[in-house]
Amino acid sequence: MTETVLSVNHISKSFGGIHAVRDVSFEVSRGEVLGLIGPNGSGKSTLFNCVLGQLRPDKGDVHINGHRVANMRASHLNKLGVGRTFQQLSVFPQMSVLDNIILAGQEHHGTMASRLFGPSDAGLTEEADRMIAFFRLEHLRDEMAGSLSYGQQKLVDAAMAFMAGPSLVLLDEPAGGVNLTMLANLKERLETYNREHDTTFVVIEHNMEFVMSLCTRIIVLAEGAIIAEGTPEEIRSNQQVIDAYLGG
Amino acid sequence: MSEFIQLLISGLSAGSIYALAAVGFTLLWQASQTINFAQGEFVMVPAFFVLALSVKLGLPIWLAMPLTVILSVLLLGALFKKLIVEPMHKHGTIPLVIATIALGLLIKEMVKEFYSPLGQPFPSLFPQTVLTVGDAVISVPDIANFVIAMGTIVALQLFLGRTRTGRSMQATAQNPDVAQILGVDIQRMVMYTFLINGALAAIASILITPIYLAKFSNGETLGLVAFIAAIVGGFNQIRGALVGGLLIGVIDNMSATYFSAEYRQALPMILLIVIILVRPQGLLGTSEGRTV
Repeated sequence: MTETVLSVNHISKSFGGIHAVRDVSFEVSRGEVLGLIGPNGSGKSTLFNCVLGQLRPDKGDVHINGHRVANMRASHLNKLGVGRTFQQLSVFPQMSVLDNIILAGQEHHGTMASRLFGPSDAGLTEEADRMIAFFRLEHLRDEMAGSLSYGQQKLVDAAMAFMAGPSLVLLDEPAGGVNLTMLANLKERLETYNREHDTTFVVIEHNMEFVMSLCTRIIVLAEGAIIAEGTPEEIRSNQQVIDAYLGG
Repeated sequence: MSEFIQLLISGLSAGSIYALAAVGFTLLWQASQTINFAQGEFVMVPAFFVLALSVKLGLPIWLAMPLTVILSVLLLGALFKKLIVEPMHKHGTIPLVIATIALGLLIKEMVKEFYSPLGQPFPSLFPQTVLTVGDAVISVPDIANFVIAMGTIVALQLFLGRTRTGRSMQATAQNPDVAQILGVDIQRMVMYTFLINGALAAIASILITPIYLAKFSNGETLGLVAFIAAIVGGFNQIRGALVGGLLIGVIDNMSATYFSAEYRQALPMILLIVIILVRPQGLLGTSEGRTV
């Protein structure tokens, strides 16, 4: 029996008279890589923010690993095993790559006393170095994150999302602004991580090639509602999706 | 040459104390976008806590001083954040700035009204003796003040750079939204910053007041100097505030001797204007990133 990691149940969210998300439901199983696609304004980001507890849905609820996430603080969600990457750059620019990655894991370790007086790396340097090596960032380990290229910062962001050993990672446009070489590297790394750790991914992405090749299942949103769901092959050949989003 | 060395050391001594106030000023800005125009009064008033505890309550000075640091941490750190900053912050930066100006005036007038409008002698922590090095005569309190002020700033830097809490405080200053998502308790980190500022103000007060006497108006100069030092050094770097403070201390001291005692107070202002025109991010500041 497959284990459900994320369960979205009848979520609706309106802003004034605009129905951003309309009665959306879906489940994501352990190890699955789900893509959420749709044209601008289709409700992807609103849905994402409802899942992350950053927006309170008007109706419906979200469960992650069996826990209801409504009204849950972002920091608690992180401790529940949810990692995320950001559409905008989200590194700490005046800290080294190593410190960025340690920071992403340190809040899960130790007591208040150890935070003040314990080892500054919270015993995480080795683990952070493994993550740095996994994303092939060894040569940038001690560089200030703010001095890296956009694509390199995206990789650091991804490494940070995985540092706390999440069971679910939400990737918000991971391919945006990343050059082709780095994108191939990022995709290969995500696939490897998914394969090795059985981690569940939910990906919002506009880069069709990237999302079609990475995801095992895709949900298409238009005007806040699900218009199609299926494998990449099924989505590619779905006439309603072609009309609404992919174009001829 | 000996005169130059004497002036340099005495300037560095005063400058290191200005730097304490400037670093606190910078920390508050970095952590919570609070521009604290009451910072001068924050450095002025702990001296009166010491006097109240020692003269009025009769406590020994060795006890009054650490109690003053604790009192400052609570009143100028925690209470300031809870009663002024948190309620005003949601209204934006300008209302908060106005609130801190009002708070500065309130503290100043309260000290004048309830303690004394006259300068009060203040005990020095160190013997008023001198060291003779070659032809230069160097004051022991100057050296001691410099060592304590610099030691405090170095300890703060180590805390921020080499502890988990320090890393979380830096993350909170640089990108609070992401820090929160990663599990950092950003409200607690901001509170720590205010507590640290209270402690820095108390230490600066205890070091500098023996030089000027304890007077309600001391905050006017100290607040201005801290502000200028923070801008000159770079508003987004502790070491910027440190360099700014030292620079102003030395310029202030040298100008009185080599330039003009009359225009002494104008020089830091001129330096401020030049820096804003030529390098608005400050000598060590960066134009975008923020750090503590």
